[in-house]
Amino acid sequence: MTQVKAIRPEVVAAGQDPDTTGPSPGNSRAGRPIVDVHGVDKVYNNGTVALKDVELTVKEGEFVSLLGPSGCGKSTLLRLMAGLGDVTRGEVKWWEQGYDVVGQKGRKLAFVFQNATLMPWARVRKNVRLPLDLNKEKGPETEQRIDQALEMVGLNKFGDAYPRELSGGMQMRVSIARAMVTEPNLLLMDEPFGALDEMTRNKLNDDLLRLWKANGWTVVFVTHSVYEAVYLSNRVVVMAARPGRVIEEVPIEAPYPRGQDFRVSTEFAGYCRRVSEALEVASRQGEEASS
Amino acid sequence: MKSPLLENERFVQIAAPVFVGVVFLLLWEAVVRATDTPVYILPGPVEIGKAFVEDWGVLFHSLLMTLKVTLMAFIISVVLGTAASLLFVQSRWIEVSLFPYAVLMQVTPIVAIAPLIIIWVDDTTWALTVCAVIIAIFPIISNTTLGLRSVDPNLLSMFRMYRTGRMQQLIRLRIPSALPYFFGGMRISTGLALIGAVVAEFVAGTGGTQAGLAYLILQSGYNLNIPRMFAALGLITLTGITLFAMMVWLSDRVLRNWHESALKVEH
Repeated sequence: MTQVKAIRPEVVAAGQDPDTTGPSPGNSRAGRPIVDVHGVDKVYNNGTVALKDVELTVKEGEFVSLLGPSGCGKSTLLRLMAGLGDVTRGEVKWWEQGYDVVGQKGRKLAFVFQNATLMPWARVRKNVRLPLDLNKEKGPETEQRIDQALEMVGLNKFGDAYPRELSGGMQMRVSIARAMVTEPNLLLMDEPFGALDEMTRNKLNDDLLRLWKANGWTVVFVTHSVYEAVYLSNRVVVMAARPGRVIEEVPIEAPYPRGQDFRVSTEFAGYCRRVSEALEVASRQGEEASS
Repeated sequence: MKSPLLENERFVQIAAPVFVGVVFLLLWEAVVRATDTPVYILPGPVEIGKAFVEDWGVLFHSLLMTLKVTLMAFIISVVLGTAASLLFVQSRWIEVSLFPYAVLMQVTPIVAIAPLIIIWVDDTTWALTVCAVIIAIFPIISNTTLGLRSVDPNLLSMFRMYRTGRMQQLIRLRIPSALPYFFGGMRISTGLALIGAVVAEFVAGTGGTQAGLAYLILQSGYNLNIPRMFAALGLITLTGITLFAMMVWLSDRVLRNWHESALKVEH
């Protein structure tokens, strides 16, 4: 039996008029919803039900992980949160409004893909600069931001290197620098460290937590690793497959900064067990549904 | 014991095929001499070499003619082929409607269309060029179209997230992604341009000052001047190899920093 049946935060955006209900600056910033997924179904043209009645609210400053067996639609959900693809039913809101507000000041969104997704023909610096180029931002100030981003991920000496000259972990860091350079408020990450060895992954997890705190990001992180999800997140959202849906949310209440001590603590082990149990339920339900 | 020269990759790459060639020529000469084969059946390399030197004036003039047609056809193929590919990736409709005709052009034997083209196009050089373009353009179109479509879907998603227009997508993403494919197409296309130029000339049978290497071969055949025939043949082969090598060099130069094809892996 699992005791952790977390109560899902109430969806606040439903029924609001997207044009008139922007939060006033005086509001308490903490807990303001950044992305709100409400009653969302996603059915692909071939009939596959990728997501069924998904409810999820990510609040400002949160670090939320989406965890689940393959085929549970966690990547699809993340892509919908990025505005890539349309929902079949329900709605997604950003800053309590429509997708149009994304990209405005204070409402920037960046996406970090699985496998760095760099342009192999461009040097590191040019790769990091890409979002700025696409937004037509130029000038010495942007150069500074590129320098800063490269320094934050510890690659300031590699600006002139080509991606293929770098290790997998370094390429991923370039990818993170590319996301950082836009100074995003919401960072969406799709199994970014899935292809890396454990040591590199742990290192990048620590880097990510440090950057998250330093930059005040809101992060949604897709992973298939229970340990990674528990280590990083405020909240782990466990999903089941066939159809893809959210079955449980496990809050991880351990304080930050988290480090090596947390990784070996009984608290960590306890959370991992709880999340694993939830995941097992998810897998079982998925199998029953498919048989 | 290994000599240091044999450890040198570059030296081996050149020396090994040259060695094979020399052995082959020596054997050839030996067989011709041993069997007393008459020159009008099979001349030895020495006779062919003599023809090279003695007929150099005629040979060189013909080479220039053939080269002119080949290069013109190649350049036109690259320009038109790339333009066609860019058009094809603009919309599925355009590609679906036109691509079968590009294939049609490719599968129709050039020898069969050449007489028509020679009737339609007055100027011989242009007639030959058109024939060569018809066969040289296809690899450019098919490869470049494939390349322009072979874009990392995640990068494309990223461009979409920044609401990037088609033009930016094309310049920043599709064209660089297509480069390796494009160069692959160019390598095949140079060879085909040369083949097209030669085949068209065989069909046209153009003589006089316009005569290229193909006509020289025909004419030498009629006159039983077999050594000169071989010399002309040798020049065609040499031209093809040179053009191919130039394309490889160009592609390696452009892609050397990032593409696997130009990568030298140490084991």
